[in-house]
Amino acid sequence: MADAPPPRPARRLALRVVPYWILGDGLTSLVLAALAWFLLRPWLADNPWHKDQWAEWWPIGERVLLVLCLMLLALAVLVPPINYLRWRYDFRSDLLVMRYGILFVEERTVPVRRMQHVDLSRGPIERLFGLATLVVFTAGNEGSAFRVPGLPVQLARELRDRIVQMRGDGRL
Amino acid sequence: MTDASDPTPQPPGPAADAGADVLARGHLHPAILLLRFVDALRQSAFPALVGFAVDRWFLVVALVLFLLQLGHSVVRYLTLEYTLTADELRIREGLLHRQERRIPLDRIQDLGFESTLLRRGLGLVVVMVETASGRGVEARLDALSREQAEHLRDVLLAARPAHADGAGAVTGEVGGDPAPRLGPPPQQPEWLVHRSTTAELLGRGATDLRLGAFAVTGYAAWEFADQLGFFGQMTGVLDDLQRWLLSLPPWLLLTVLTALLFSVMAVGLVTSTLGNLVQFHGFMLVLRGDVLLRRFGLLTTRQKTLPRARVQRVTVEQTWLRRLLGFAVVKADSAGGSRTDGQDTAGGWDVVVPLTRATTAHALLPALLPGIEHTTFSWHPGSKKLVLRTALQGVLLAAAATAAMWWRLGPMALFALLLVPIWTLLGVLIWRNLGWARGDDFFALQHGIIGRTFACVPTAKVQAVVVRQGPLGQLLGVAELTVYVAGGSPTRLPDLTLADARALSRQLADRAARAAAADW
Repeated sequence: MADAPPPRPARRLALRVVPYWILGDGLTSLVLAALAWFLLRPWLADNPWHKDQWAEWWPIGERVLLVLCLMLLALAVLVPPINYLRWRYDFRSDLLVMRYGILFVEERTVPVRRMQHVDLSRGPIERLFGLATLVVFTAGNEGSAFRVPGLPVQLARELRDRIVQMRGDGRL
Repeated sequence: MTDASDPTPQPPGPAADAGADVLARGHLHPAILLLRFVDALRQSAFPALVGFAVDRWFLVVALVLFLLQLGHSVVRYLTLEYTLTADELRIREGLLHRQERRIPLDRIQDLGFESTLLRRGLGLVVVMVETASGRGVEARLDALSREQAEHLRDVLLAARPAHADGAGAVTGEVGGDPAPRLGPPPQQPEWLVHRSTTAELLGRGATDLRLGAFAVTGYAAWEFADQLGFFGQMTGVLDDLQRWLLSLPPWLLLTVLTALLFSVMAVGLVTSTLGNLVQFHGFMLVLRGDVLLRRFGLLTTRQKTLPRARVQRVTVEQTWLRRLLGFAVVKADSAGGSRTDGQDTAGGWDVVVPLTRATTAHALLPALLPGIEHTTFSWHPGSKKLVLRTALQGVLLAAAATAAMWWRLGPMALFALLLVPIWTLLGVLIWRNLGWARGDDFFALQHGIIGRTFACVPTAKVQAVVVRQGPLGQLLGVAELTVYVAGGSPTRLPDLTLADARALSRQLADRAARAAAADW
């Protein structure tokens, strides 16, 4: 390949996406952990089927469950900041580039003129933080939606308008 | 954007088509009522049967069902009207729930004709209109007469604005009148691209490795028989059979079982061969102007147009058996159709050549992707790190499997370590088959494990490019490149070096953006 790889995109998401993610994902994780600890644990403890075999394994099992629950909660707190640090997006001439991910790092490039339509989506907690997610769709069916989360509403609107303006009436 | 996909509610009355030039207008063919009558009869046959046999109330149910069905089709017949103007196809239908669907002509990707044996006898054709909405068939005109359908197609193809041809040579203006000719255009000469011989179709059936499909059918039949309580009566017979089998000497038993297995396979082979023969009988691929036309089918005849400019991807697929024998299947994706690699869509819509010599298949490519003959592909092999990655995956998998099974099986769990050489071998095979090339206007990829698939994507059709690195990929510095087009499944290119992947991604995206700008 003769051409040099392109520079990485520069723009970051709004910082308040971190508390939003912590709250949004944290709530789910909290509920899951609570369910596991307060419902699943007692139910497993007096499991009627393999009482004799279970008896010696149970203390270990209980500890494993505890570690799993704590890990769930820790991940809900730790992942959002890292994710925030990793998330980058930008417009490079006619292209929208986004790069994100921790375990799986993805760099997605979408020509603006190929976008079929643009959505702004705002969930209830998202609205609380004044954030919006920009969703762009390209033609085709599989994997044709691309999302940029954690944008301040005003900026998201501007980006949307900019895309609509740039795009004109694209064709396949 | 005026997207055609949502049916717009329309005020009643014929005011809608005032002004625009109407190129064609029509209703469904009256014979559709006969077909629907037969359908309704067939659907109410079962309740009626139950009615006679079990309870008279079911007769009422059958009657109501019958009348509802018939009423629905009569209403549909009476209200459905299609109108073709210079820039859109309008289909209006419904009495209580009225809907009018407008499809701009330049959004129409594909036009398909289908006609079953019964419909053919009556001279009817089902017309299917496809757009890029991803839902496949956007509108279905059930049963037009053959003349009507052909007239519709000719007018439609002629009215297609000029910018539909060729990715590069694009001049069409959206607002301006492309000045479509009125009425059907003069017949353009047709070029025969490929005609399937019976031998080829037989070969397709014989190398069709879908014995799995046969097994599924067998299972369904078994389930059905089970539901009918068939087996209750059969058990006695089966027991006798089993006893008789066990009384046989072992060598005879073995022969009987082998014969049984072979007969099952033979039946599978025969059914798949017959199925392919019937489905693709008389397959012809014709180029008329810039439009590819396919005609095929014995019982249900199908006709499909595919403008070359709409082709999103062409694949030459070889399953291992076909590769061994040097044969290949050619398929083309258009926007809106969806399938994954190696899978056949129902009806064989995406098949461009059912089976041919692999060399012929590649020689046919210029007919499908004009301009590819001027493209010089310099092929790059995949990165050797691919083998390393798969081997590492194998190690991880083997370690996990061994750990998981150790407390059950003890040292026997070490057998899981066999996964490492198997995975490594897999990696070597994948690496040996992998190759990619980028020409100016095309992007080509060859991949496979035992079989081989060649895929070619016009770069102008690229919708999005994604570079992805998994945990192992980050460790080894390799990345997977995925190219999205509007039709078919995305094209994946595994294990490029990260720099290569990003550079390639940039080139493809830039090229796509330029093409999109030119379109516009």
